Amino acid sequence: MSRRFWETDWFGPLMVVVVAVAVVSILNPSFLSPFNIQVLLLAIAVNAMIAFSQMIIIAIGQMNLSVGAIGGLSAIAFAGMMEVWGIPWPIAAILALALGVLAGVANGVLVALTGISAFVITLASLSVYKGVNLGITEAQPFYKIPDVVKGLGNDTFLHPLPWLIIPCVLAALLLWYLLNRLPLGRSILAVGGNEHAAELSGISVRRVVIVAHAISGLLAASAGIMLVGRLQLGQPTIGDDWLILSFAAPVIGGAILSGGHVSVAGTLLGVAIVAIFTQVLVLFNIDPFLVQVVLGVLILWAVGVNRFREVRALKHSAQVAS
Amino acid sequence: MSIQNAPSETSVFVAEGMTKTFPGVTALEDVRLSLSKGSIHALLGENGAGKSTLIKAITGVHRLDSGRMMLNGQLFEPTDTRDAISRGIGVVHQERNLIPRFSIGENIFLESLNAHPLRRIDYNKLFRDARVWLEMLGVDADPAMPVHRLSVAKTQLVEIAKALSLNSRILLLDEPTAALTPHETDTLFKILRQLRDDGVSLMFVSHKLEEVQEICDRVTVLRDGKNACESQPLEGLDRQAIVRLMIGRNEQIPDWSARDRSTGKALLQLKNVSTSLGHKEIDLSVHKGEIVGLYGLVGAGRSELAKSILGKFQVTGGEVLVNGSRAEIHSVADAVRRYRIGYVSEDRKSEGLVLMHSVLENVGMPIWRRLAGLAHFLTNGKIRKHTEPYIRKLEVRTPSLEQHVGNLSGGNQQKVSVAKWLAAEVQILIIDEPSVGIDIKTKAYLHELIRELSDNGTALLLITSDMPEMITLADHIVVMNDYRIMGEIDNTRDYDTMSERIMTLIQGEELVAAE
Repeated sequence: MSRRFWETDWFGPLMVVVVAVAVVSILNPSFLSPFNIQVLLLAIAVNAMIAFSQMIIIAIGQMNLSVGAIGGLSAIAFAGMMEVWGIPWPIAAILALALGVLAGVANGVLVALTGISAFVITLASLSVYKGVNLGITEAQPFYKIPDVVKGLGNDTFLHPLPWLIIPCVLAALLLWYLLNRLPLGRSILAVGGNEHAAELSGISVRRVVIVAHAISGLLAASAGIMLVGRLQLGQPTIGDDWLILSFAAPVIGGAILSGGHVSVAGTLLGVAIVAIFTQVLVLFNIDPFLVQVVLGVLILWAVGVNRFREVRALKHSAQVAS
Repeated sequence: MSIQNAPSETSVFVAEGMTKTFPGVTALEDVRLSLSKGSIHALLGENGAGKSTLIKAITGVHRLDSGRMMLNGQLFEPTDTRDAISRGIGVVHQERNLIPRFSIGENIFLESLNAHPLRRIDYNKLFRDARVWLEMLGVDADPAMPVHRLSVAKTQLVEIAKALSLNSRILLLDEPTAALTPHETDTLFKILRQLRDDGVSLMFVSHKLEEVQEICDRVTVLRDGKNACESQPLEGLDRQAIVRLMIGRNEQIPDWSARDRSTGKALLQLKNVSTSLGHKEIDLSVHKGEIVGLYGLVGAGRSELAKSILGKFQVTGGEVLVNGSRAEIHSVADAVRRYRIGYVSEDRKSEGLVLMHSVLENVGMPIWRRLAGLAHFLTNGKIRKHTEPYIRKLEVRTPSLEQHVGNLSGGNQQKVSVAKWLAAEVQILIIDEPSVGIDIKTKAYLHELIRELSDNGTALLLITSDMPEMITLADHIVVMNDYRIMGEIDNTRDYDTMSERIMTLIQGEELVAAE
């Protein structure tokens, strides 16, 4: 790409990460302790999956409000299948992922076939999926989680790198490849950029919408399953607090909410920024409930930066087209 | 600063030394202009000549870097568009600026309603007042009807009603006739003349020189942001002279002779086709190397027929044959991939291109799948290899292939939308209004390209409302009105007889193709 590196989506967030890490580690050297890094990476690994799950829907210019509900449903399905039916954890994981895909496909099919906005469809399905979750669990967690799963959810394979970072890195690489190298990924962005133009260029918009929702469901389910390992229990409340983060990270990473443009690296850095800021609140004994406030400010900051770039781009195009 | 054409006493608006630069580009340089009372002033120039910037300066969108504008003898420095409106400057923009779900009446009086945000809206009075304007413009519509239910042409007229309702003493019209039928244009012109006689100063921007010659009395031509002529009487200037001012040289009209390509293999045939949109008994065939023109007024159902052929809308009866055998086209994806049919949309901004994506991505869009077919993934290098020759061939002017299409000029955007289908190597290409918003130079170039495509064996279905364009390009003309074929004629390329015969067909007289 001929774009200069400081104009890329990831440059701004990267600078924030670098400066934040530098400042915080000077003020409190324990920030860079292996244990703290491990905790940080665990949070990033799960949150990145949540953010990617929303990012792929932002790419087609839609919203998925049911990301958390799908993640929660898959999480309790995973835990429940192991506890109630005694299914071995790898098979339970695969089935739970399949459930996530199914929930995503249901969203996608409804959106593609009815033409009703994804906002409304996923608002409804959020309620449905969450209702099924509470119906199954009666709001009680599943406790019997195999030790392997607990281990994978918390331990490191190479100090201080936790196991959970592996699926996260894998997802990031695959998504980058999809969005930059595969016709499917290019089509996803084309549909987000201009649905009509994409359709008239021979792209099947319906199929693209359904596939994007399926991927979103898969990623949300992954996040849910990873959280079961991390929390060491199948909490019915998993996913309840994902929504703000799922939008914040892609937007901090330069995604355009009307669709057509997202950045995998930017989103990952967006997740890192949120994780670092959250950690800082803990390290400096600030009320952790302030996390919400920080998140809100971060979103406003990111949208502000994007808006600034947009206005500049508009000015630029106005002069070329004058 | 010396002014050659000293403003006469009737000048209501005088601008001198208008200069506006954007980083890297000088959009206006020392431009002069004077509008007199009771006159219709043409503002001409190719795309990128600075017309839009000039209009935006007068309407308060842009601030001038230097130069000054005088309105009724007073210094005029609009701070924003509202300020300009309150000083009596009305404008009808090229783009639609109405609120789709609001009623016609509310749209017309939106500005005055906003002046009193807490006063209850008296809808009866509002609709009564709106009806006056609608009647004046000859629009037969209920003022309570939401704007999105109107045809494009009527929407345009509502927009004009809106500008007129502000009692503007200066009215700027940016391509007001682009979407109007000849009949509606005539009505509009009658109103414009009436306004002129009432003492309003009008400025008229159009690419259709015939219209300019018909209605305007003075002309200012811009070329590369400078005056090529300023407020000159139009009398005594012929078309050639105007074009020379616009492009700096004579217009080259291709001297293409009539040809008969109907002997080649029929690549696209419609037999007694009807569609879910209401087309009936459509018979049409396009042969290899032939350009078939589909003529009709706005709303005749031509673009809709094109989209039905493409599978976007359903064909409910009859049959579509591609390459001589029956085609089952269920989606646009089918049309593009299986039958190699391409469609250049009339609306490149909302249907043709992904403006926020690069030139390379836009041109590559239809062939991603095919390119990836071999090794299952795409690289920019691979896409570049298959698209760059076509982008070069069309001389798309862009700093790089990574440039966002939205940043290119209208003409270059149109070239990108054509290049896309050249790269896709389609056998049938439907081109819908190829020269909307394109300057004369690019238009001539595009015409040569379309001709060349047909010489190379592509079957072309050309949809245009531009009569000269139709007669220049088409080998065979099919006339459509109200979702039906009214008749067809071989093109003799004699403008006067052809245009007359086409109009006769539209009017619905039974006139079976001669020859």
